[in-house]
Amino acid sequence: MQELRELARKLLQEKQVSAILGYEHGRLGTRPAFVTDVADCERLVFDHRCVHNLAAYLSPRRTHIAALGRLAVVVKSCDARAVAGLIRESQIKREDVVLIGVRCGGVVRDAADARPLSADNVAPRCVACEKREPTLADHLVGEPKPAPAGSGSRDARLSEIEAMSAGERLALWMQLLAPCTRCHACRQVCPMCFCERCIAEKTQPTWIETSPHARGNLAWHLTRALHLAGRCVDCGECERACPAQIPLGLLNRKVARVVADRYGYIVADDPSTPTPIGTYQLDDAQEFIQ
Amino acid sequence: MNTKRMLSRANLDALIRDLVAAGTVVVAPTHSSGQERTGVTYGQVQSPDEVLLDGPQPIRPLKGVVFPPTEALFRWRQEKSAVKIEEVPTGFKETVVIGARPCDAAGLEVVDCVMGWDFRDELWFGRRQATTVLAMACTTCDESCFCTAVGLSPTSTRGADWFLTPVDGGFEVDVVTPKGEAILDRYKARCPEAGGAAPSRTAGLEQQVRANLDVRPDRIRGWLETHFDDPLWKRVALRCHGCGACAFVCPSCHCFDIVDEPDGAASGTRRRNWDSCQTALFTLHGSGHNPRKDQTARFRQRIMHKFSIYPARFGEVLCTGCGRCVRVCAAGMDLVSILAEIDRAAQGGGEA
Repeated sequence: MQELRELARKLLQEKQVSAILGYEHGRLGTRPAFVTDVADCERLVFDHRCVHNLAAYLSPRRTHIAALGRLAVVVKSCDARAVAGLIRESQIKREDVVLIGVRCGGVVRDAADARPLSADNVAPRCVACEKREPTLADHLVGEPKPAPAGSGSRDARLSEIEAMSAGERLALWMQLLAPCTRCHACRQVCPMCFCERCIAEKTQPTWIETSPHARGNLAWHLTRALHLAGRCVDCGECERACPAQIPLGLLNRKVARVVADRYGYIVADDPSTPTPIGTYQLDDAQEFIQ
Repeated sequence: MNTKRMLSRANLDALIRDLVAAGTVVVAPTHSSGQERTGVTYGQVQSPDEVLLDGPQPIRPLKGVVFPPTEALFRWRQEKSAVKIEEVPTGFKETVVIGARPCDAAGLEVVDCVMGWDFRDELWFGRRQATTVLAMACTTCDESCFCTAVGLSPTSTRGADWFLTPVDGGFEVDVVTPKGEAILDRYKARCPEAGGAAPSRTAGLEQQVRANLDVRPDRIRGWLETHFDDPLWKRVALRCHGCGACAFVCPSCHCFDIVDEPDGAASGTRRRNWDSCQTALFTLHGSGHNPRKDQTARFRQRIMHKFSIYPARFGEVLCTGCGRCVRVCAAGMDLVSILAEIDRAAQGGGEA
């Protein structure tokens, strides 16, 4: 912790950045913190309750944050994948941001969970995660951490759903999406949902109905999942933010599985690797064109 | 009025069966069905076994019962040069809500003010009229609850037609409104008059909630009226994602969007859907100008509307302290700390 705070102080004092975007302890668990004053660096923490993906705040569309000036951001390896995505897709430049990589042994599902990290409360994405520290980082802090406890059967449910008939799958998703009220929290917290104007807000024509009825909800969630194909960084923020508790990660991981199978592409924190959707190769599979 | 009655747990179960058999829609806290994660939500139940009266606070407020997340206003059809408007059926089914939380019941009454203000919202009042609310005193609370800070309490009867207080063996029933009397008349046999006061199981809860937040809404309002440009807004709103989850789980947020949904070249439906002032699109003008240009302005609006604008217009705080906005926020925005900070500032206690 002291290492993180000292680095933050140095970056502010040397005016390398005008604010540090990290984590602090709030009244009910950890939360994002914006530190502009050297004295406030004491507030910065990093522990297994730092669940949030802070890369979402780097979108140039967030004008009130962009107004702070150059930022240093605390990133876990999953968060760094999102920063790489923003660079890859020309939303920010690498030199626009200082990345404070943190060594991470997994985080809990819920930032308000004060218990120690265990197989019972570990975020599902962390169980399968093999990266204890980001590659994309300017600084790296913290002691090396062991991999989190938990079984690696995270995608068992996904395989179960894949084994269903198309009709059963449709019925299942209609049921799972029924509680959606279209608050769009899934989109707002997503670091890769940075469109200037979301297709769900377009009305001439209305591609996706904004009404939270069966048609609108299905159109919205399927479109969002497909738009994140080969782009979703699997940070789990959409699912965590959903007030209706919809298992959105299942959709995203299904799409990621298809992209991995067909294009051998797995989203990583390397900004220079082009995405399948952003490139063309002569040997791309095209049997679906008839 | 205000007759005290006793409703045993067995009689409550029987009452639920009676209501269902009579064709009344019964809504109660229940397990969300068919979902990957189990949660508690207000939903229509068919039998007493589905009712969950001692579980956690339902994840969504009760407002959806009288104000559905989406509803049709009318249908239109283009016929040559004329547009024909067709009414949609507006029969409101008789509904009884069992086990509403006091914060949710009060929310309905608070929102009545705006729904009946310069235009009487027939859909809201149609369903309000058809809905009888049997609220129940809270038996649990958590660190996000703050109803006592906005003039309510875990035993507040606002918005309730009956108020149930859990006692040994069942519930003590306060019949609060004429609508409550009407239900009692029909099911009197289930609710004999109470013989003597039974000890309530809700003791101590009010102090627990008050310990979370102890502020004065009038003092907060005074500060808000003179601090539109305070640096607090910028600082606090930084972490806000502008997602609007807070508004969608709020028992008193009531803003809606109106959309036309064509179902062919010449016909369609006009619907209204829940909306939130936390999104950029909410105030985006056709010209491209947006008077609330960033999240600082949008978050300020949320607090101003609830604790200054609405109280000025209707004498009511547009918040019932249910704490859902605190619980759902992915960014850890904590209305409890923010109100505490504003209240401290209003008393001259340092930086807001």
